[in-house]
Amino acid sequence: MSIFNSGFFWFIEGILTCLVILGIKTWAEDRGIKLTWWKWLLILLWFSLAGFTLAFVGTSLGENEPIAALRGGVLFGVLTIILGVACWRLLSLKKKKN
Amino acid sequence: MEQNKPKTKFSRRSFLKATGATSAVLGLSGLGFFGYEAGRDPASYTGWKTFEGGDQTFPRHRFTVNEPPYEKVGPTRRVDPRSEIVFSRLPTFVRYWRQDPRIESLPEHLQKYYQEHPEDLELDLENIKVLRPKLMADQEKYGRTFLLAEAWSEAMAAVVPPRITEPPEKADFPYVGWGRGQEKLRRPYKLKSPAKTSRLIKKIAHELGATLVGIARLNPDWVFQYPIPGRGLDPNQPLEIPSHWEYAIVVGTPMSWDPMYANPNYGTSEDAYSISRIIAYRLAAFIKYLGYAARPHTPGYSYDLMVPPIMIDAGLGEQARSSIVITPELGPNFRAAVVTTNIPLKPDKPIKFGVESFCKTCKICAEQCPSGAITKGDKVVVRGYRKWQLHAAKCYNFWNSNLGNMGCRLCIAVCPYTRKANWLHRAALNLSSNDPTGLSHDALTQLQKIFYPGPNPQDYYIPSLGGKNASYRRPPWWLRTEDFIEFE
Repeated sequence: MSIFNSGFFWFIEGILTCLVILGIKTWAEDRGIKLTWWKWLLILLWFSLAGFTLAFVGTSLGENEPIAALRGGVLFGVLTIILGVACWRLLSLKKKKN
Repeated sequence: MEQNKPKTKFSRRSFLKATGATSAVLGLSGLGFFGYEAGRDPASYTGWKTFEGGDQTFPRHRFTVNEPPYEKVGPTRRVDPRSEIVFSRLPTFVRYWRQDPRIESLPEHLQKYYQEHPEDLELDLENIKVLRPKLMADQEKYGRTFLLAEAWSEAMAAVVPPRITEPPEKADFPYVGWGRGQEKLRRPYKLKSPAKTSRLIKKIAHELGATLVGIARLNPDWVFQYPIPGRGLDPNQPLEIPSHWEYAIVVGTPMSWDPMYANPNYGTSEDAYSISRIIAYRLAAFIKYLGYAARPHTPGYSYDLMVPPIMIDAGLGEQARSSIVITPELGPNFRAAVVTTNIPLKPDKPIKFGVESFCKTCKICAEQCPSGAITKGDKVVVRGYRKWQLHAAKCYNFWNSNLGNMGCRLCIAVCPYTRKANWLHRAALNLSSNDPTGLSHDALTQLQKIFYPGPNPQDYYIPSLGGKNASYRRPPWWLRTEDFIEFE
């Protein structure tokens, strides 16, 4: 059994997720961005999509389906990038001071 | 002093941000590696690693229905294997046709069949006159490529239980003192309840190696009108259904997954058939030891009934467009056997998990089928039941139009349900099974077509018939003859 399909892998993933959350929070505070619930939701959704894309590519390669890996990588990858840029713009929005 | 203190270049906050960014990269990359491991994990080949169904994950109980998901629309009729089953029809046809190539020379039941199905006469003639000679010629030229695949199939088919030589009234019942001239019917033990017996029988079947086990009350419509040879019965006399064929226990095991994806030429049905066959014989022996009648029916070899509808009755799956049964755990990638018995059992309920709706929109098997045997149209009424009908003569003709192992199994290889039991395909299965609108079925079908394309159907034929000996996927390393054998 590889480490990547063990319970320990998900334990490490959990720790990394906590560190990502902490990093995003610090980054937002430094830039004066208030992270509302919907912004957190957007972040969660984007990371889920990015994770799905990479897992899809990996799974397809593991299944010996290179065409699925390539097409899935391009399709979901482009979607991830576009939504990532949109998400970034939304997150970076600050309230204008009059 | 405070003002003179040099500023650190890398503050605590910067460290947190950098750690967060690094963790994001590591975490996402980890998911990629997780996917790779999930994709290549042999444990996700359900039923093949453990055989015993322990790795089945589908919540079958949530999809049970009271009535089987097929429609009875009129007076029913039992199938006549002598003419309606191509494996039985063609040898008889060949035998008579070679002696006297006229319709009138054929047995009456074949004359009647061909009068009602003139297209099948043309197809059967094409089989013996055109396809088989071309196949033999191409076997000489290209057959060595599939040597290991054939050897694998031969090995799996090597163990065959003895044929049944006596009629059911004798062969199905348990005797003690067997062979000593003092045979005596074994007295059946009193069982506590049908439910407990069913649980026991299923456990024993799993212990014997069955991945799928289901129990149905035997519907007489699924029993052949005439017995096939080698069943201890006269093939020319109608089969009277014995009263002790009350229940049908179905057992099934998967075909080896990697060769199966390399169909139509590298896979074999013999691997699963042989295992299911031996399980059925052993299960029959177990039941007989308890004093009850039991008779194994092992397709591909020796049987008195149609297995797919019994599987549906036993709650193991639903009928697919390709006419075979799709189960949630193995898709259509299995071969089954049946034990008919009178041991009191509690039948399982049928299940309905979206296959019919999915197959209505999917049609991938019909598009990939080189022979056009799988309909792209609607269901038709066959012997009183509405179903998708496979054109068996077309299907069988393709069996004689490709090299490697006997059969084709492409409809199994290309089916979206024939996928590994990993996170990706389980998610798709759960989505399609729980979607009453059918909207996801369209989307999943399109994704299947985009991500898992197959060769041009014509390429599956032998070169003499305009093909390229193509297979749906590359064979596994252990079936690539060219890597192991030096030909002169």
